[in-house]
Amino acid sequence: MGKLTGKKLILLGERDGVPSPAMEACLAGSGAEVAFSATQCFV
Amino acid sequence: MDLENQQRIMDAAEKYGAENVVVVLGSADPEGAGLYAETVTAGDPTFAGPLAGVSLGLPVYHVFEEDIKAEADQGVWDEQIAMMEMVLDTAALAGSVAEMRDQHSKIKL
Repeated sequence: MGKLTGKKLILLGERDGVPSPAMEACLAGSGAEVAFSATQCFV
Repeated sequence: MDLENQQRIMDAAEKYGAENVVVVLGSADPEGAGLYAETVTAGDPTFAGPLAGVSLGLPVYHVFEEDIKAEADQGVWDEQIAMMEMVLDTAALAGSVAEMRDQHSKIKL
């Protein structure tokens, strides 16, 4: 069982860094559920 | 951090319990990552949003930290994140978030 199993994830991505959808895709199999996901965009 | 996101984070922490929530950051600069980490642990340092004076103490990590990377799907990581990992200062990003976590998080992975 991984460290994230059963956890609720709050993903705060950044367009010029790692966007939230990429983090979601990566962690989809971690056993955690995404509670809230947002990608900031600083222009 | 914008006010709407602060509110949503506060709501999630209340709904699920701080011990069940993990915040993962994808910030590109260490200063911004530190500010985000401070906001979800000690409270909003700008005192502008719902988390002003609210110390949630959430466990917060940068996606590049080993605790998170180890849980990621390696194939998807290589496809979608590895490029940014090469470009960004991962040590500084991880260090900035870890500093806030060590000082203010009540829970760690």
